[in-house]
Formats: sequence, C-alpha cells, structure tokens
Amino acid sequence: MPFETLLGAWVATGLTLFIFTFLYQDNPLFKLAEHLYVGVSVGYTIVKVYDTVIVRLLYEPMVNQGDWSLLVPLGIGMLMLARYFPKIAWLSRIAFAFIVGVGSGLAIPRIISSYILKQVEDTVRPLASLASGGGPTFTYNLLDPASNLNALVLLIGVVSVLFYFFFSIEHTGPVRVAARTGILFLMIAFGAAFGYTVMARMSLLIGRFTDLIEFADPRYGRATLWLLLATVATLIASGARRRDLRSCGTSSSLPSRSTMSSTSCSGTRPA
Amino acid sequence: MTFAERMLHIDRRIIFLVIGVCTLLPLLYPVGLAIKVSPEVRGVHDYIESLPEGSVFLLSMDFDPASKPELQPQAVALLRHAFKKNLRVIGMTLWVTGTGLADLVVSQAAQEMGKVNGKDYVFLGWSPGVGSLIITMGQDLYKAFPSDYNNQPTRELAVLKGIQTLRDVNYVVSLAAGTAGIESWYVYGKDKYKFELGGGCTGVIAPGLYPLLRSGQINGLIGGLRGAAEYETLIGQKGRAVAGMDAQSATHVAIIMLVILCNVFYLLIRTSRGQSGQPRG
Amino acid sequence: MIFLRRQLPLLITFVAGVVFAAQYYVPHPTSELMLTEVTKWLQIISGFALVLGVTSLFHIHAVKIRRKEPGWAYSLILYGGILGTIAAGFSYSFTAGQWVNGKETINGIVTAFGWIYSDMMVPLQGTMFAILAFFIASAAYRSFRARSREAALLLIAAIIVMMGRVPLGEMLLPVSGDVTQWILNVLNAAVRRAILIGISLGAVALSLKIIFGMERAYLGGGKE
Repeated sequence: MPFETLLGAWVATGLTLFIFTFLYQDNPLFKLAEHLYVGVSVGYTIVKVYDTVIVRLLYEPMVNQGDWSLLVPLGIGMLMLARYFPKIAWLSRIAFAFIVGVGSGLAIPRIISSYILKQVEDTVRPLASLASGGGPTFTYNLLDPASNLNALVLLIGVVSVLFYFFFSIEHTGPVRVAARTGILFLMIAFGAAFGYTVMARMSLLIGRFTDLIEFADPRYGRATLWLLLATVATLIASGARRRDLRSCGTSSSLPSRSTMSSTSCSGTRPA
Repeated sequence: MTFAERMLHIDRRIIFLVIGVCTLLPLLYPVGLAIKVSPEVRGVHDYIESLPEGSVFLLSMDFDPASKPELQPQAVALLRHAFKKNLRVIGMTLWVTGTGLADLVVSQAAQEMGKVNGKDYVFLGWSPGVGSLIITMGQDLYKAFPSDYNNQPTRELAVLKGIQTLRDVNYVVSLAAGTAGIESWYVYGKDKYKFELGGGCTGVIAPGLYPLLRSGQINGLIGGLRGAAEYETLIGQKGRAVAGMDAQSATHVAIIMLVILCNVFYLLIRTSRGQSGQPRG
Repeated sequence: MIFLRRQLPLLITFVAGVVFAAQYYVPHPTSELMLTEVTKWLQIISGFALVLGVTSLFHIHAVKIRRKEPGWAYSLILYGGILGTIAAGFSYSFTAGQWVNGKETINGIVTAFGWIYSDMMVPLQGTMFAILAFFIASAAYRSFRARSREAALLLIAAIIVMMGRVPLGEMLLPVSGDVTQWILNVLNAAVRRAILIGISLGAVALSLKIIFGMERAYLGGGKE
C-alpha cells in the first residue's frame, strides 16, 4: 500500500476520533479538529474559487477567446471586495445592488411559475374521474397517491394549513375548525420529518463507522484500534490535568497567555 | 427521586453508547434483511432504463462531505446504471466543497465500467452561481463551462457532440443535500428548458420534496441511504447502502424503544403526581 | 456623492430587477442573448461574493491571535489549515509532473490538495454531522413525550415513519411501509405544499420590495 494512502487512513481515523471525543465532553482534541476543519474548508473554497472563477471563467476565455466583455463582471466583482477598505466600502453597494436586482428579477417569475402556479394546479384537481365507461367515478384507494380520496385529503390539508398560518383574521368559528385541522396535518408532517431526520443522521453515523471498521484492518496497520487507545489515553490525561487545576482553584483564573504554550491549555475550559 | 425520574435523567452518554453499539454490531455482523423498492425510486430507475443508448444523462452531485454516506451510494448506483445503459454522462456539482467527492465518484465508476473521459463521459466540476449557472447552462452550456474539470475545452469533447444547451439533455438527476439542488434545477432549469428531472436527496430534505414529486415536477425521488439501497437492489449491484441497512434498522428500533421508554416513565411520573396531588410537569 | 452612494445602488437594483423579471415573458433572441451574458456575469460575481463570505473569518481570528484571547492557539491551527490547504492547492505535483492548480487528481494521481481533501476535510466534515446522530437519540429520549393529543399524533407519525423506512420495521410491522408511503405522499405533501406556497409568496413579496427600494438591508449600513 502506498505510504500516502496509509498516512491518509491514519490521519482520517485520528481526526474522526477527535471529533467523536466531544460525545464524552468538550476537550482540546475536539477543539483542534474543529478549527482544522474550518481552516481546511475555507482554504479549499478559496483555491476552488480561484481556479474556477479567475482561471476558467475569466482568464482563459479572455486570453484564449478574446472575450473582453468579461471585464464587466471582473470590475463588479472587484467593487465587491471594496468592502475590505472602509473609505471606499460604499462602492461594494453597486455590486450588491446588481446581484440582488438581477437575482430578484430572475426569481420572481420563476418562483411564481414553479412553486405557486404548479402547486396550486396540482392541488385543485377534479374530485371525480371519468371511468372507462364514461361515467364519473370516485376512487378510494389510499395507497394510490392519485386517487380521488387522496386528492380530497390533500386539498383539505393544504387549505387548512394555509388557514393556520393566516393570521390576518381571528381564528374563531369555521376558521378555527380549519386551523385546528391544519395543526393535526402539521403534527403528522413534523412527525414524518423527525422520522426522516433520524434516518438521515443514523446514515451519516453508519458512514463514519464503516470507514473506521475499514481502517481497523491490518492492511492499514489497525489504525482505528491504535488511535482509539491513544485518544482515550489523551482524554484521561486531559481529565486528570483538569481535575488537578480545579483542585488548586485556578482553573478559571489562569491567565490565558501563560497557559497557551500548547493546545492542551484549553483544557482549563469548564466541561 | 423515583425510579422513573432517575431513568429520565440518566446520563446521556449511556444513550450514546446504546446508539454506538446498535450501529456497530450490525455492521460487523450483517444479517441482510430484504429491501422493498418504493415507487419513487422506481421512477428514476425506470426512466433511465427507458432511455436509448447514447442519450445524454446529466448527474449533478449537489452535496458535500457531510452528506457523503447518504448521497455517494446514490451517485455510484446511478452512474453504474447509466454507464451500463451506454448513456453519455455529464457530471457536475453546485456545491464547491463537493467537487473532490464528485470527481472521485465519476472517475471511479467510469474506470470500473471501462468508460473513457471525454468520449463516454465528462466531469465539468463546480462553478458558482447556482441559479445563474443553471440559466447559463440552459442558454449555452459552453458559456457556463468553457472547459471541463481537467481544463479541456468543452467544445472539443466528443461526449458533448450535438449538445448546445440543457434542452439537449435527456435526463437530469440532482442529488441534493439542500436547496441548491433539486429545487434550483427545477426553478431555474426545467421550468424553462423542459428537460426531464429526477432527484435524489438526504433524508432530512426528502419530505419537503414530495409536493414536487406529486405534481410531476420531478419524476422520481431517491431518499437517503434507504433510497440508495433500493436503487442498488434494482440494478442488482449491492454496495454500501444495502450493507448499511441492517445498522439503519437496528438504530431505528433502538430510538423507537427509547421513545417508548421515555413515555412510559413520563406516564408513571404523571400518574404518581396525579395521585399525590402534585402539579403535573 | 449622495447620489452615487445611495440613489445609484437603488436605481441599479430597480432597473436590473424590472428588466430581468420582464425578460422571462419576452423570449426574443436579443433578450435571450442578454440573459445569457448577464447570468454568466452573475456566475462570476457570485464567486467573488463567496470569497468575501469566507474571508471574514480571517479578520475574526487575526484579532484573536493579536490579542492572545483564550483559545488563540486554535485560531493559529485554523490559519494553518487555511494556508496549508492553499499552499497544497497551488503546489507542484512531482508524481503527476505538473502544477496542481486546485485539482484533487491529475490523470488519476491524487495530489497533495486531493489528499488534504479526502483524508482531512471529508472525515472532519462527515464526523461533525455524524455526531448529531447521538444527540438526536438523546433528545428523543429526553423530550419526545406525549404531553398532549397533538404531541401524541406527532410521536405516532414519527414512529410509523421510522418503522416504515427500514427493512426490520417493515418486517415487524408490515403495514408500516404502506402507511409511511401514504403519510409522505398525501398528509406530508399537503403540509409541505402549503408551506411552499406560503414561502414562495413571501419570497416574491420580498423580491418586489427589494426592486422597489422598500427593502434595503442588503446594501448594509455604514457611511451614507
């Protein structure tokens, strides 16, 4: 196995375990991993933006194809960066005005068409359908989302939830009944959302555990097992140090400068 | 403090341990429970199945590493299916931090199926703008992506022959971890450029996409790891998603048990307080 | 000067908003050409906005380091992460024999930038979200109680959906799969649709307020 793959497995495992240590308590290992995560993500984004925007979208079309009209977005983009300089920060407003103006203009008709008209159109379906013989019929099959019964339930659901969120009129009489029905629909939908959220979060955990199991293989030098031992040992040592500091009564009064010589200094942070 | 009260205030790390064990054990000792395929997932599968050889399939992998366990198996399964059907594949992403993952997924699936970059598939990479990017692609694909991820001029690629805009794409599937995904592809893309659109998404956003599914704005939806497992079952190539389904089952049952226990203890406390005349909590 | 600082941005927003809202209904070739050009510009400008967003972190952490505030060593790690990743992104790959230029792989060879991405960023971000699994379980145990009829309804729906979306659940309670499908396709779809319509109406109203200069928060505060 190439060295960089092996090293990668050890680094990935170590960082995964560092984040998992938060489940025990907040600690320096977690803080280290957390800050590294933010740093690497920002660095990655900057590199990608440079490569995509400056090189692929600006430099190459301008130099190779002579598309000098791209100086306009370059200029507007530079105006945006004026925000870094307080004296000319107002110039960035021109760039924001352009982005927000075009963005709003593009969004209005598309949102109306996609979300309002299309959704209303599908809600107000005929409540009866024509059978093969030609006469009107009402289908009751709950398992068929397109059945007439489901179309009716959907219509009641949409209208009642809209009533629940409509605060311009007092919720009394028939409006109250509609709003109460809306609450029942909302509760079921929130329950479904919770069920799906649980599913999603568990899937993420399964993904990480699958990687950890893979890296526990002898091919990777049993990275997971060794690093798990090391992480637990560090946590115990860090916990012991924290207890010592607390017993001296100095944990919260330690001047940060004197303790910041290493990353473990934040162990003084209350758990 | 009664037994029920003590149980309700149990150290949360015990619950963490239960969840950890319930996830780990099925991964180490899989059972292989049968997976039922839902009509939503079948919608995407059947549409790809119906496309003739050489049709253009655009897969937009709109997620980042945070959603990798849910959406990467979906991407792998879809790519395997598309390559098996000899479709021309265009890969891209709307999420900057997902570029590396998307590149890896496309290149590995292509290598596995013996496909050639530039001839059978292309990975366009990431470009900013989301809505404006999709509109530009709908107007002129080569303006949006003058070059591909490997800096090859897109106009010269054999795989893109005859494709000028999104109108020339037969099927777009967005694998989304947020609003910059299926919804954007519909609002800024399909609404005007009239291509067929399917979706795959994380479990968190799946319920929110059912209105689009019902109205036919998307023709299928692969939801979460379960959706990926269904797709793997449909194409007969079981992968990471199917392998994770036992653990998914175990954790769901564990959480249901926890919720039931919590309610039993809560009812016990309420009943005992009711009997002793204390206010209800 | 007041005009440049205050009125000009509002005028630009108004003109751009009206023109591009109208453009949707005028598919004339000239109008389509304008759309192509301007959305391409917008694409590029969005890239600058992204940089502006992420670089605000530089300032916050630089201040922390300069003042040696508690936890400033972590800010150094953050800076190290940023600079190290940027350096790797623009380094030379001796294995591939060319500059990396922000590529994770070159002809199938993983670059240093790709290594940082796959072995640092992917596990870090993945795990950061994976630990939520534990907290959602803990929260469910502590607070998912049937305190009222509505809460009981929510709880039952959640349990059915959790059962219906996993093979073991469908095996233990065979009806859960079909009930879950019905909940998602009908009851859930109705609620989500109502919310979608409501949000969309709100978004259109906000966009109109922006175009007509009634909403100016996007211009920020500061010196007029």
